[in-house]
Amino acid sequence: MMRRLGCGWVFLLVWVLWLIPLSVSAQERLNAAVAANFIQAFTEISQAFERKTGVRVEATFSSSGNLYGQIVNGAPYDLYLSADEERPARLNKEGAGERPFVYARGRCVLWSARKDFCRAGDWRTALRDEDVKRVAVANPETAPYGTAARAALVKAGLWEALKQKWVFAQTIAQAFQYASTSATAAGFCAYSSVMSDEGKKGCFYRIEEAPAIVQSACILKRTPHRASAEAFAAFLISPEAGAIKDRYGYH
Amino acid sequence: MDWQPFYVTLKLAVATTGLLIALAAPLAYVLAYARFPGKSMIEALVNLPLALPPTVIGFYLVVVMGPKGAAGRVWEALTGGSLLFTFLGIVIASTLYSLPFAVQPLKAAFQRIDRRLMESAYILGLSRKATFLRVIIPNSVSGIAAAAILVFLHCMGAFGVLLMVGGSLPGETKVASIAIYEAVEAMKYREAGLMSLCFIPISYAFLLLVNRLNRGA
Repeated sequence: MMRRLGCGWVFLLVWVLWLIPLSVSAQERLNAAVAANFIQAFTEISQAFERKTGVRVEATFSSSGNLYGQIVNGAPYDLYLSADEERPARLNKEGAGERPFVYARGRCVLWSARKDFCRAGDWRTALRDEDVKRVAVANPETAPYGTAARAALVKAGLWEALKQKWVFAQTIAQAFQYASTSATAAGFCAYSSVMSDEGKKGCFYRIEEAPAIVQSACILKRTPHRASAEAFAAFLISPEAGAIKDRYGYH
Repeated sequence: MDWQPFYVTLKLAVATTGLLIALAAPLAYVLAYARFPGKSMIEALVNLPLALPPTVIGFYLVVVMGPKGAAGRVWEALTGGSLLFTFLGIVIASTLYSLPFAVQPLKAAFQRIDRRLMESAYILGLSRKATFLRVIIPNSVSGIAAAAILVFLHCMGAFGVLLMVGGSLPGETKVASIAIYEAVEAMKYREAGLMSLCFIPISYAFLLLVNRLNRGA
């Protein structure tokens, strides 16, 4: 008797859990593939958009390269927000994406969880410090912020000179994670991550030598929600979203 | 194609297998024969890496082996270096990650041994330790080999944990599975395909070998 009752409860529970997503999907929903550096800003922008239009935007955050690979292999996203210009342009050329547009310009910073890291005169001196053994850099081959960091380091003549110190993260978010858990003394991060709660606990140098990271996005041609996707794309470059992006250090 | 990641993978698999068999054999022996309160709890603990996502193990290892974590601090006090982002660091990570893959088959192999053999050894005056080394181990060679190959293969395929703790340093912690992932992300599909293709015959051959050894036992 007890056993049958138990079975009934399990069945009910499974059934209820199964129903929950159903009730949500009655509302229109967009799926966006979003570069990891844009997490904080995107969350706020999508909330503002939902308040305004009732359309929910779900995001998958990963490195631009990973998301690009998923899209090429048919992942069902409606929009792609990359951290570079190259990949959306490539999607457009291959016929998977609409015409790309620039939605943000990001900056690369050198962030550390230790406040005394920022006592040096500039970031180059800080990196040369012998106590700084490891520094996280996002993979320059796949993460645009890593590419920018490498460009600045090459320009400063440090890329080869301090080769022993670089630890490679898969995304800019992982670079921040390494730095924030003090696994590395510092990390090249997105300016936006400095604005997060965790980021405010540490300190950072601006890297003026790093080129601005021009981030572009595109609507994917396979989307069944074209009108909503276009509305969101327009919202993304509206002044309202611009104010949010400003707060996270994008211009 | 760059062979260095394969070299690192092989080195990692060999080092982990050696270390793990040495550590797991006594542990498996205790789990196979000893009776004590709380044994099932220890057994569950040993099997825990099977049930945890590799990212969970990786996340904790970054924290524990980092300069602020317990293991990281002890290591730094002893050697002055860091454990994270080193070859030794990923050996420790994959040892922990593969622990159940060594303990389970070893325990099964030890339990298959005829108890009369062990009893004769005791009667003939061998100590427990001598019995373990001179009777149990030689009589479960094929079981040990099967465990070793399983661990070896599991290490070759390790990805999530190493992605979290490795830092992808070429020649040090950049293993083949991570090199493949990075090649895909960098859109070098040809290179990724070639490296992936290398895995299939190697893993297949080793699995055939495991089957042979298990049948022999």
